[in-house]
Amino acid sequence: MSINACGAGALVLGIASFLVEPAAAINEPTLAEERAFQAAVSRVESAVVRIEPLALSVLTAAGEIRPGQGPSTGFVIAAGRVLTTEFAIPADVEDAIVVLADGGRRAGRVRGRDRSRGLVLLAVDDLPSVQPLEAAPRADLEPGQWAIAVGRGWSASQASVAVGIVSATERAWGKAVQTDAAVSPLNYGGPLVDIAGRVIGVLAPLPADTAGMNDGTELYDAGIGFAVPLEDVLAVLPRLEQGESLAPGILGIGYLGRDAINGEPTIASVQPGSPAAGAGLEPGDRLIAINGRPVARIADARHAITPRYAGDRVTMEVERAPADAGKARKLPFEATLVEKLPPWRRAFLGLVDAVGPAPRGGGIAIGWILPGGPADQAGLRADDILTTIQLRADSATPLAGPEALAGLLAGLSPGERVRLAFQRDSQESTADVVTGMPPAEVPTEGLPAPTGGGDPLAGPLDAAKLVRLEAAEVAEPTLGVIPRGAEPVGVLIWLSAPHGIVAETEALQWKAAAVRHGVAVVLPGSSAPAAWSRSDIPTVERSLAALKGRRPVDPARIGVAGSGAGAAFAWLVAERLGPAASGVALVGSGLPRLSTVTEATPNRDWWVLLGPGSDDTNRLRIETDRLQLRAAGYTVGLLPAEAAAAGPPTDLLCRWVSLLGLL
Amino acid sequence: MRWRYGAGILASLAAWAGATSVADVTPQQVIADATRKVVKLYGAGGLRGLEGYQTGILITPDGQILTASSTVLDADEIDCVLDDGRRYAARLVGIDPRRELALLQIDATDLSAFVIEHNPALATPGTRVIALSNMFGVAAGDERVTAQRGVVAAVVPLEARRGAAEAPFQGAVYVLDCTTNNPGSPGGALIDSRGRLLGILGKELRSTAAGVWLNYAIPTNELGPARAGIASGTVVPSDDTTRPFDLRLLGALLVPDMLERTPPFVESVEPGSPADHAGLASDDLVIAVGSASVTTRTAVERAAGRLAPGDPVRLTVIRAGRLIDLELGPRPAGATP
Repeated sequence: MSINACGAGALVLGIASFLVEPAAAINEPTLAEERAFQAAVSRVESAVVRIEPLALSVLTAAGEIRPGQGPSTGFVIAAGRVLTTEFAIPADVEDAIVVLADGGRRAGRVRGRDRSRGLVLLAVDDLPSVQPLEAAPRADLEPGQWAIAVGRGWSASQASVAVGIVSATERAWGKAVQTDAAVSPLNYGGPLVDIAGRVIGVLAPLPADTAGMNDGTELYDAGIGFAVPLEDVLAVLPRLEQGESLAPGILGIGYLGRDAINGEPTIASVQPGSPAAGAGLEPGDRLIAINGRPVARIADARHAITPRYAGDRVTMEVERAPADAGKARKLPFEATLVEKLPPWRRAFLGLVDAVGPAPRGGGIAIGWILPGGPADQAGLRADDILTTIQLRADSATPLAGPEALAGLLAGLSPGERVRLAFQRDSQESTADVVTGMPPAEVPTEGLPAPTGGGDPLAGPLDAAKLVRLEAAEVAEPTLGVIPRGAEPVGVLIWLSAPHGIVAETEALQWKAAAVRHGVAVVLPGSSAPAAWSRSDIPTVERSLAALKGRRPVDPARIGVAGSGAGAAFAWLVAERLGPAASGVALVGSGLPRLSTVTEATPNRDWWVLLGPGSDDTNRLRIETDRLQLRAAGYTVGLLPAEAAAAGPPTDLLCRWVSLLGLL
Repeated sequence: MRWRYGAGILASLAAWAGATSVADVTPQQVIADATRKVVKLYGAGGLRGLEGYQTGILITPDGQILTASSTVLDADEIDCVLDDGRRYAARLVGIDPRRELALLQIDATDLSAFVIEHNPALATPGTRVIALSNMFGVAAGDERVTAQRGVVAAVVPLEARRGAAEAPFQGAVYVLDCTTNNPGSPGGALIDSRGRLLGILGKELRSTAAGVWLNYAIPTNELGPARAGIASGTVVPSDDTTRPFDLRLLGALLVPDMLERTPPFVESVEPGSPADHAGLASDDLVIAVGSASVTTRTAVERAAGRLAPGDPVRLTVIRAGRLIDLELGPRPAGATP
């Protein structure tokens, strides 16, 4: 009763204040803002043009047409020059059609490219002169201020308008401003302007090297859009005008750990021949400042380096632990970033670390030695415990774990001699090992013991269980086969020819191999009954995450494999997983058509298995792919003829996964 | 109960404000007033993940409702719930297959309704709008439908598809910068800052040109004719007035249509034909027919088909990086040689 009275009182008060408030004044901002939006657009719209692709459609690897193979936007940034995005004009395209507001068409030719930010400068004849654009100073930008996206993709004659706010001022490692204005392929290349009509930046998809996205176009309609600040574009405009193609700058280091947000920026690998190697950086160094700004996490280091171009100089300060137990020193370094590193080849020792807990006194317990490999030839044996590695005459580096050893090996080339100290039966000893190339084919003999104690012969069908990997937003849970005992497990993601939901009988085929090799098998189904689609990739990622939630997973032993149309899809999944995957097997297949192969790096280094081919044409294609992948630095093997037999090659693939962590 | 009392006061205030000066209304009042003219519809659904609900707008005080024609209406009983929670059985009067709109009737009087005969000029890009709909079916009973704010992003002819099928309506629509392309939104109201109806939210569609999902509304000026057509039982012909003709009639043979999106290259030109006289050459890439941009062979045929016999056939082609405009003469009456 009293509550009701209170409520009524509040209501009366509310109405009272409502009535005394001058209504016209309340409403004025709404109309004033609407007028301001339109005034801001009118300041820039004469400079905004429509970009039409030439009729050469680009198919994705899965054979889908990318969204946005249609009109897009650009704007006049200087006399006779239009700025647009690589989305409208991909790397292999040199011409575009520019449509003006009056409907006139002009031919545009690429003048320069900024491949770091995905922008293209076009030279266009007979462009009418337009009102010069004013840049909004980046330093004055604040989240919450109005941001208006202008485009001509919908209509050449009428500029389109989308209104939002600046959501963040530093995104995509400092390359972009973020907005919640609706940004889509239709207004990529258009200006994002402030309420005064000053240009904040040019709308562009999120650069591909961030957030694990394919090309950033996934984000349209998501309330996330990006614009490259106009100030940054103007800074490099003279170089684009000179016809330069600006590339992202590379330093050539890998970090210990894969968690960019929390991980410390400790260098795990320094690629031979890289600017980092030339400057004298070493594995184990911890970055503490870049270009005078302190860095505490991997993300900070990326933020400092990623926006820079090849040719830019960076200064670094690192903390280096001394060989003896003395105090860490701070050392300054300087390097010039490059566009491309010399080809990188993995050097390896031919051993697998033992599954299970680390040795009590530190070091790495050897689980298995590849027969005939470098470690075998140097006399190392299973159960030896590696304690230090000596890369140079004067210092030995303690081995904290397999990840540290992998990082150190990444800085070596095949054929280099290293001295390993090890313990055998409590005796200290050393072995000189000449690093080699990893085997391309899956070894069939003398395999590592699969599990931490389990006996695979004790009844393989009871030693693994079939689980449903429930995950958010996945309607039909993915089936998984998890062996008992083994920890952490390697993971095989198997993508069969698409046929909808995977039946339990199919999953049961994997049980014996999963147990024998201590590998968990994840069996996603396709959402469509007869095709894999790009939208199935998140399902695979979520299923993998769900498995990680149930059992510890060895991050160095995650392989993606598929056959038939599943092979092309497996390649897409591996590309999405990037460094999180260690191997890709395309059973009975080569690379998907039109796929691009990026160079292997210590962070993204897959063991790829291809074939076997079904006929001569097919075999020739697969051989071409094999050579291409090898040239790019990957370890590539051909699958034996038996892999093409009916049913998936379960034993072969699980064996392969168990060896993915080969050091 | 208290809420409804408040809403009544708000509504009468809004009505009073409307009678004196439209500029005196706050956005809150505008939304409160307009939501009373928006209804929640429940019908068939549940199959293959199709939702069984959508939105409708009241267009007369005696219970005429316009909504999107959809599978939701394929039900023996369509439930209509007003903003105050009153529930009515709605009867399907008829549908306009071209605009994909449907007219419903409920037995009620003295309702608050939008005036669709009020026919303002099309709003321009940048105009502030509010979309009102029962998106995702989150409003139930006497709960108000969802209000979203945005602006008109563009006013363009609808070139869109649902799955493989072209949308039958090809007139101008409002493209919006807010995400209204949601389950349950079709049939919702699009209003301006003053509360005037600008249009009715459309069904789920993808843009043909860009592949992106469309957030759009069919403008008010289409609603009066839609109602009149449905009420009189007139079958409205489809917008597709194309009369295909093959450019071979003018001597131009394009490359065979092998791919889904074959680029419109000229394969050969018949000597002495109008195309030859106009200067068309093999390997020219056609990029526009008249003012319409084309990127595929199919698009060339569609654009050419929109010309009436006797209209000049103008092509823009690209040859060695240069744009060339050509006029091939009048469109012949026939379809194929």
